[in-house]
Amino acid sequence: MHHYQPQDILIERGEENAPVVRRVLQRLPQLPVRLVDRGSRPSTESLVDPFGAGKKTLLFTRNRSRFLEHCPAGTPGLVCCNYLVVSLISNCPMDCSYCFLQDYLANNPLLTVYTNVDDLLGELAAVVDRQPWKQFRIGTGELSDSLALDPLLGFSAELVPFFAQRDNVLLELKTKTDCVEGLLELDPQGRTVVSWTITPAEITEAEEHGTASFAERLDAARQVERAGYRLGFHFDPLIEYPDWQAGYGRTIERLFSAIDPRHVAWLSLGSLRLTPALRATMRRRFPHTRLLSGEQVRCADGKWRTFQPRRVKMYRTLSRWLRRAAPSVPVYMCMETAPVWEKVFGQAPGCDKDLAHTILSPSLTDPATIDAP
Amino acid sequence: MPSTLPAVGLYAEQKRLSQATLARWRSWPTTDQQALLTVAQELRLGENHLRDFLDWLEEIVLRDGGSIAAVLQQPAVRRALKLGRSRNDKLKAVKDALRRLRYPEIARLEHELQTCVKALALGPQVRVAFPPAFEGDEVTLEVRVKSAKDLDAVVSRIRQRLTDGTFQRLFELLDEA
Ligand code: SF4
Repeated sequence: MHHYQPQDILIERGEENAPVVRRVLQRLPQLPVRLVDRGSRPSTESLVDPFGAGKKTLLFTRNRSRFLEHCPAGTPGLVCCNYLVVSLISNCPMDCSYCFLQDYLANNPLLTVYTNVDDLLGELAAVVDRQPWKQFRIGTGELSDSLALDPLLGFSAELVPFFAQRDNVLLELKTKTDCVEGLLELDPQGRTVVSWTITPAEITEAEEHGTASFAERLDAARQVERAGYRLGFHFDPLIEYPDWQAGYGRTIERLFSAIDPRHVAWLSLGSLRLTPALRATMRRRFPHTRLLSGEQVRCADGKWRTFQPRRVKMYRTLSRWLRRAAPSVPVYMCMETAPVWEKVFGQAPGCDKDLAHTILSPSLTDPATIDAP
Repeated sequence: MPSTLPAVGLYAEQKRLSQATLARWRSWPTTDQQALLTVAQELRLGENHLRDFLDWLEEIVLRDGGSIAAVLQQPAVRRALKLGRSRNDKLKAVKDALRRLRYPEIARLEHELQTCVKALALGPQVRVAFPPAFEGDEVTLEVRVKSAKDLDAVVSRIRQRLTDGTFQRLFELLDEA
């Protein structure tokens, strides 16, 4: 895949000497750099595609609020897996047609990097170390791709060792890239799961613009598998299209002919879910996307999803295939209601803790028990 | 860049359509602009209904190929447009026809469920309702009776349908389309 290069760099005054800023300036010495005052941003509003344009400028600033948040899937009425998120980056260099950031960051589209990694680690340590009996699962892939900027920023070199020292927490790096070089020299001690969103190759090509191909993702997954990382795969969003059974069937077959299921920490399924505002943005930014022409309905949380009987059929089919390919790996659904859980798995988790426990327990076993590939 | 039909602009002005809706309409080939204009004038479409038309028509063409004008020429749409009823009835019929073209699977499920409900033959005292947009897993049976005798008759009809498998069929349909 083509690795990201911004067109220009903005640095908030006072952050010039942050380690991550220095690293980037060293790696991209030829780029125009501007210092900006706190809070001041060049406007992209007058441009035809402000969100797309925002991705081309890299802004360094401090995060002045909390880093650690509950994942937004914790919406009333939906079964939640107690996932926590931290964001060191806001926005993403790639441009998937279904990406919720198009709407969520519409007024704040610059690709923003937070420089105060120490604050993040301090905040995490305070929460995680104070409750050693509790298990945490924390991801960085909420407001950006976890690894797309890693060749530039090198954040994984700070995060992976931090998690490697703790027994009660797992870091998940979620990506659609093959940017894994920075991970290969680190020792994750079984505490970092690198996970990929998986869609059939034809969907990747048509809808996930600028991301790594399925073959590249698979190759990257094998590299980190060899380096001792646990893996995760998210069939989320699941895309309904005329040939979905053949497409997903082929994909799962290829995936597990390359990857040893014993190194997979979790597998997830999630329907494509679109807010009305996101649908409008997609229509404008990606007029040829076919994702809006499926049989979708508006659900109780206001999001459009494939209508339930069809969705359930897709979940059942995929979970059956995944369980056959990887019988001991937990499979869960993201942002689904208890009735859908019951239809797909025969039962819904009793409470969020049950689900979190199911996902975490096999993953927090002693890393020494993971077989070397 | 497709050229603009002045009549579309005039219609938009008359109906105070938003700039976004007008821009979308104008981005179509002129034959498609004209085809929708004819329908819009006939049905006196305002912003909200028109937006549904734009969404559905664009989405049908994205999925199936062809042109918007061709979709509006489909027999089901033309039949609905020829209905000699009130503007509201006609609008409802045309929207139903378009919706069926846009959501064929949902329409098929609705039709099969309707057939199933007819086969239940529970009588006018019983109303069977499905979860909105088929989300959720509950079917609602509303029973209206004036006497214990009436109720007894309804309950035995329901019991009979439970034993002959008609209810089972209904739940199966909902379970996996
Ligand atoms: S990779 Fe993720 S964050 Fe980036 S554009 Fe795609 S969906 Fe959005």
